[in-house]
Amino acid sequence: MFREKKAPPAPELAEDAPVTAAAVEAVFRGCYDFEARTLHLGGDTENPVTLCFIDGLVSGSDVAEQVIKPLTDPERFAGVRDAAAVSRMLGGSVYVYTAKHREKLGDAAGDLLNGFCALIFDAERAAVTFEVKSQQRRGVEAPKEEKVVKGAKDAFVETMKINSTLVRRKLRNPHLKIKEFTLGTRAETSVTLVYIDGFTNPELVAEASRRVERIHTEGALTSAVIEENIVDNYRSPFPQVISTERSDKFCMNILEGRVGLLVDGLPLGFLVPGTFSQFMKVPEDHSGHFIVASALTLLRYISVALTLLAPAFYVAVAMYHQEMIPTRLLQSMIEAHASVPFSTAMEVILMLLAFELLQEAGIRLPSPIGETVSIIGALIVGQSAVEASVVSPVVVVVIALAGIAGYTMPNLDMGSALRLCRFLLVLAAIALGMFGVAMGCALLVYHLSSLESYGVPYMSPFAGSEGRHLTRALLRRSMTVKRDREPELGTADGGEAKL
Amino acid sequence: MKKTVLAAAALSLALSLGGCSSGLTILSNYRRIENIELVRTVAADKEADGVNVAVCGTAGEESSARMYENTGKSLGAALGELALLPLGRDAVLSHTENMLIGEELARERLGECLDYIERFSEMRLDTGILIVRDGTARDLLHGLTGEDTPAPDVIAGLSRNIARVGDGYFFTCREIASSLADNGCALVQCVRAQKEEKLFEARGDLNIAPAGFAVVREGGGLDFLSDEETLGAMLLLRKYKSRIVDLPLPEGALTVSVDSAAASIRPRFERDGALDRVEIRLELEANVISVSGEADLEDRTVREAAEAELSRLFRRAAESAVARSQALGLDYLDLESIIHRREPLKAAPALKNWADTFPGLPVEVEAESTLQRTYDIVDPPEDAKEGEDPWEKMIRLLRGS
Repeated sequence: MFREKKAPPAPELAEDAPVTAAAVEAVFRGCYDFEARTLHLGGDTENPVTLCFIDGLVSGSDVAEQVIKPLTDPERFAGVRDAAAVSRMLGGSVYVYTAKHREKLGDAAGDLLNGFCALIFDAERAAVTFEVKSQQRRGVEAPKEEKVVKGAKDAFVETMKINSTLVRRKLRNPHLKIKEFTLGTRAETSVTLVYIDGFTNPELVAEASRRVERIHTEGALTSAVIEENIVDNYRSPFPQVISTERSDKFCMNILEGRVGLLVDGLPLGFLVPGTFSQFMKVPEDHSGHFIVASALTLLRYISVALTLLAPAFYVAVAMYHQEMIPTRLLQSMIEAHASVPFSTAMEVILMLLAFELLQEAGIRLPSPIGETVSIIGALIVGQSAVEASVVSPVVVVVIALAGIAGYTMPNLDMGSALRLCRFLLVLAAIALGMFGVAMGCALLVYHLSSLESYGVPYMSPFAGSEGRHLTRALLRRSMTVKRDREPELGTADGGEAKL
Repeated sequence: MKKTVLAAAALSLALSLGGCSSGLTILSNYRRIENIELVRTVAADKEADGVNVAVCGTAGEESSARMYENTGKSLGAALGELALLPLGRDAVLSHTENMLIGEELARERLGECLDYIERFSEMRLDTGILIVRDGTARDLLHGLTGEDTPAPDVIAGLSRNIARVGDGYFFTCREIASSLADNGCALVQCVRAQKEEKLFEARGDLNIAPAGFAVVREGGGLDFLSDEETLGAMLLLRKYKSRIVDLPLPEGALTVSVDSAAASIRPRFERDGALDRVEIRLELEANVISVSGEADLEDRTVREAAEAELSRLFRRAAESAVARSQALGLDYLDLESIIHRREPLKAAPALKNWADTFPGLPVEVEAESTLQRTYDIVDPPEDAKEGEDPWEKMIRLLRGS
């Protein structure tokens, strides 16, 4: 029914049209939050001007105190009209730190949407806009996802200005550049590119700028809009952009020679290029002891192997290669499986699906309910299923081991990609046993090795890089040792940290 | 949509081929795990027209052992046809820990048994090979199996403990085949059935006991070594771990555990470079376990007598092992490769005619023993004064006087 009644097309905004009160009101017709009122400059009723703003985007008290009060002051504006009044306002007679003279309707409308109020002079067919943004925004809080015990507690918020301030406070360097772009044909989201001029590889900066400019979207309101548009291979499930809510991690990567992206409305910072080894690191690595941090990094790599291969390996050996299983273990497995009606393949697939369902349910539900669901689910799937001989205990152990190993992934996107690959490897194992697992692994390695992020091999330093940098990915050196930067980033100092 | 259909088709194909539907699989070695009958021990004997095999299988840890028998023209045929028996389960040979081979079969067709293990991809090269003396392997396997004690567990127990008590060593198929290829002969552990009173009802009627080493020749043939020769061979092949020895003394006796016996084998050459002799030096370390009678361990002469007796016993064992090897003309002690490793250039001419040189090669054996665990034996210091307490001597030395 509704399909037949199409909405009439919105009138095109005449960007270059002169600014008049009627034109502005026409643009914002139907917007309940748009406000327009007439003021008399200097209290002179014969000198009317129109003040427009969008309620909520501007601070009402600031408008009254910093704009209306001086404008209606007879001592300042009595008898001052049109061009002279504009000139006086731009000269500082209004107590607002940003004032702009706008002659085009598009510019004036844009300012109104960005927290400005506009004073429209119909006779001049122009406006003066003042920045009086509302301060109603979420304050800086501790990170919720990337928590550390010893480390900064200021996470990014949804407001770009606050995020750029956080970065500036940490990197007090005049060469730190924050280049702004506006994305979205309708939403006009502000995006900034952060880098250190004269240090970050200029080709990397140029390429990142080019990719950001190339984004065609109606509005950059989600992280996927940014990430999928700026990566080299958007079809790959593996993350190629480092996203973080931690401002210190963001700044550390800028200091490494990466280019950062901040998006207004997203409490995240994005960093390119992203390589596999970077997704294995956590902020805690830089606050703990270097030996412990190195051991934990190695553990994460072992976890990758476990979460990827444990179910597939189990399926392969249980179905095809029983000779690989130690005798005692095989005897236990035979014993445990004797009363299970499903084949090993079906059993593992059912358990993996159950595990994913539980995980999704736990994530989507509100926190207290989610935890309850997880506990009940674990009890049902783990204990009851074994007691009811639906699955064998060995399968529960293998799937739980793979699942727990997957939770050690510092990056959620990396964890999700590995889960997907885990399924594919299990299918390969079901079809071809160890040959299938080997082929699946070979394809995975091929895919990962063929990925590039801004010219940097995704698997560097494991592939496409010099072997001597291998320890950099696997271990963390002491902070007392002069560190080598990633040479692939091509920083101006040639990869050697300046101490 | 097309991709979704393709993905769904691929998934269903994979699942159906993987045993989720009617059991069709891509690979031929697919087995449902619950159907597996795990064979852990194979007994093979010579039959009039072929080979008889008896296998002991278990389904799981809790299930009792089951015996299956079959006869075929060869070992491979007999074991291969096990699948055709109405077992209701899939016999899997990959976990065969030990193969018991009857004396007659070993004498004539041991090579064939080894060949089967080497070639058949399911079998493992670390399968232990045992020759059954004074009876058939089949009877031993049946006799060992009790309600609660499957024969493989009994044999595994012997395998773990035999080297610890110094009665032998379970040579694996890999070791035997390798020795046969290198030396034309190899040592194999022998076992025999032992009728004992049952310790508990659930145990089998028979027990298994070590019966020394047998020497097998490439191409057939079997000789047996005595216990002393077996000990000597273990020493020289470095398979020795431990042995408890009773040492008779003039006044009582000593029981010691010889926990270390390092054998060093060195060739000695004449001035003109010809191989003169082989020197074997044994260094024994023994711990006193118990003392009986009036033997006084504080008396150095008593200890020296014990050490000398221990050295004599082990020296004699090594000498007899070498002498038997030379008498048979079979270098199963691998002296050739030891000499080659020690002196590759100098020994080359002698090794060229090793078959001729070896039987007449002089071999000298020396043994030196050290008795330890002597915390109740106080050694008087070398320069202790007559009747001086050793602690007083130490205090005197510490004081520098």
